[in-house]
Amino acid sequence: MHDRIGFSIGNVFAAVIPFLCGVIGAFITNIPISIFGNNVVPPLLALMPVYFWCLVRPDLMPPWVALVLGILEDMLSGGQPGVWTAAFVASYALVDQQRESFAGLAGFGAIIGFAAAMFAASATAYVVNDFLYWRILPVSTLIEQFAITILFYIPGAALLNLIHRRLVGPLRSDF
Amino acid sequence: MANGAWKIARGKGSPQLPLAIVAVIALAVVLIGKAQSSVFDHARAYFSDWTAPLLETARGPVKSVSNWTSGIGNYFDVYQENLRLKEDNARLRQWQNAALVLEQRVKRYQLLLNAVQDPSLGAVTAHVIGRANRPFLNTMILDAGKAQGVKPGEAVVDARGMIGRIFLAGDHTSWVILLTDLNSRIPVAIEPGNIQAIMTGDNTAAPSLETLGQGVQLKDGDQIVTSGDGGLLPSGLQVGTVAADGNIFRSVLLSDAGTSDDVRVLNLKSPPEQPPAPSPNDLPVAAAGLAPLAPPSVAPPLANGAATPTGQKPPSVKLLHPLTPAPAQATAPVDPDDR
Repeated sequence: MHDRIGFSIGNVFAAVIPFLCGVIGAFITNIPISIFGNNVVPPLLALMPVYFWCLVRPDLMPPWVALVLGILEDMLSGGQPGVWTAAFVASYALVDQQRESFAGLAGFGAIIGFAAAMFAASATAYVVNDFLYWRILPVSTLIEQFAITILFYIPGAALLNLIHRRLVGPLRSDF
Repeated sequence: MANGAWKIARGKGSPQLPLAIVAVIALAVVLIGKAQSSVFDHARAYFSDWTAPLLETARGPVKSVSNWTSGIGNYFDVYQENLRLKEDNARLRQWQNAALVLEQRVKRYQLLLNAVQDPSLGAVTAHVIGRANRPFLNTMILDAGKAQGVKPGEAVVDARGMIGRIFLAGDHTSWVILLTDLNSRIPVAIEPGNIQAIMTGDNTAAPSLETLGQGVQLKDGDQIVTSGDGGLLPSGLQVGTVAADGNIFRSVLLSDAGTSDDVRVLNLKSPPEQPPAPSPNDLPVAAAGLAPLAPPSVAPPLANGAATPTGQKPPSVKLLHPLTPAPAQATAPVDPDDR
């Protein structure tokens, strides 16, 4: 009985880790402090766990988790509500549709896969903002964030890999 | 990094919210956020109040690192910079003397003209504890909120000029929408000529200017100040200078939101100047020298607040700006026998 309870707690903990990684990413992104004098746009860290676990463990990253992380990103960023919510869901939809293609990528290809997901998120955010403000907005800052996020994905993916191997486990799909 | 290293593990029959429904919910969040943008505001204010001590603590070391990383290049031209600052200082002292003389002259003119006083301004000094530069948002967080008297809509200035205005006030923190933000639109006046315009942020370093008049000509270097239209912002706050950018004009801001650490939040203690109510002598009939119509018979004045014979109280009249009593020498002498 104790083992069963202990196993369940471990399973729940493992299931919560992807969501927690997204929450921590959203908080780090939106800490309003910059060591670069606010000249550099922060990377969209919360999208990395969404992409990573949507590929390797979609049972741990269902669509509603991407939705909740998008709402959290919206709430913390201070922008128009719903922008990053729609962006995260659109990115999730792309990865979900092309999962087999993305999952086969490795090395540099994995970065290209994440770049495609980030592009979907950025494009959605841009279109939604254009709709909300009803004008064509400049894209320079968005492109900057796109590039910086992809750059940060290289160490980020290594970290997520480590978390996945040590804490989540590769094949625990039975909870 | 190697996605291919993992097998895809799908849930086995676990009930999940379908992607289509999640997409509909996301769309609903966008529309609700557009219709009711204050949905998240309370949460944001609570979050910034909650994290303010952490931000205050982290601000010191981060500021040091930021200064170090951004200031390396400055060490190489300290001598030239020092010479330039000395020249600037000497020139500014001359301007200070000129400003003091002009200030005294304006005061004398105001006394002579019996001019309505400028609206008085209160100010709250605050530290910048956070800055956020996002693709669609430029904001900063201050360590002053409702407890210090900060209210949404108030202007925020640094030593050089206006930075933005408060758009969200928590108990001990407040969020500033910068002039460069997409949501920023403030009425400004361009000098010389007092040309009215709207300055609109578009996420670039120099907000665009939309003049309200037809065929107005702007020139590079013209001064931009707040016009005070709408009564929310004080008039005359320094904003920047005009710069042409192709077919449009932009504002080169005087303030530097990226480096300002201490700012002031201005609030209007008294409302802006409004024209006084016209006296009977100002009416066109009296001004034209025509005899006014005989006034209807009026009951003798009652004590303040007393009931009329019909049992109704007279409506109380409150002047926004009480008229200044006429000077004594302007009144006609009264013969005591005529009483």
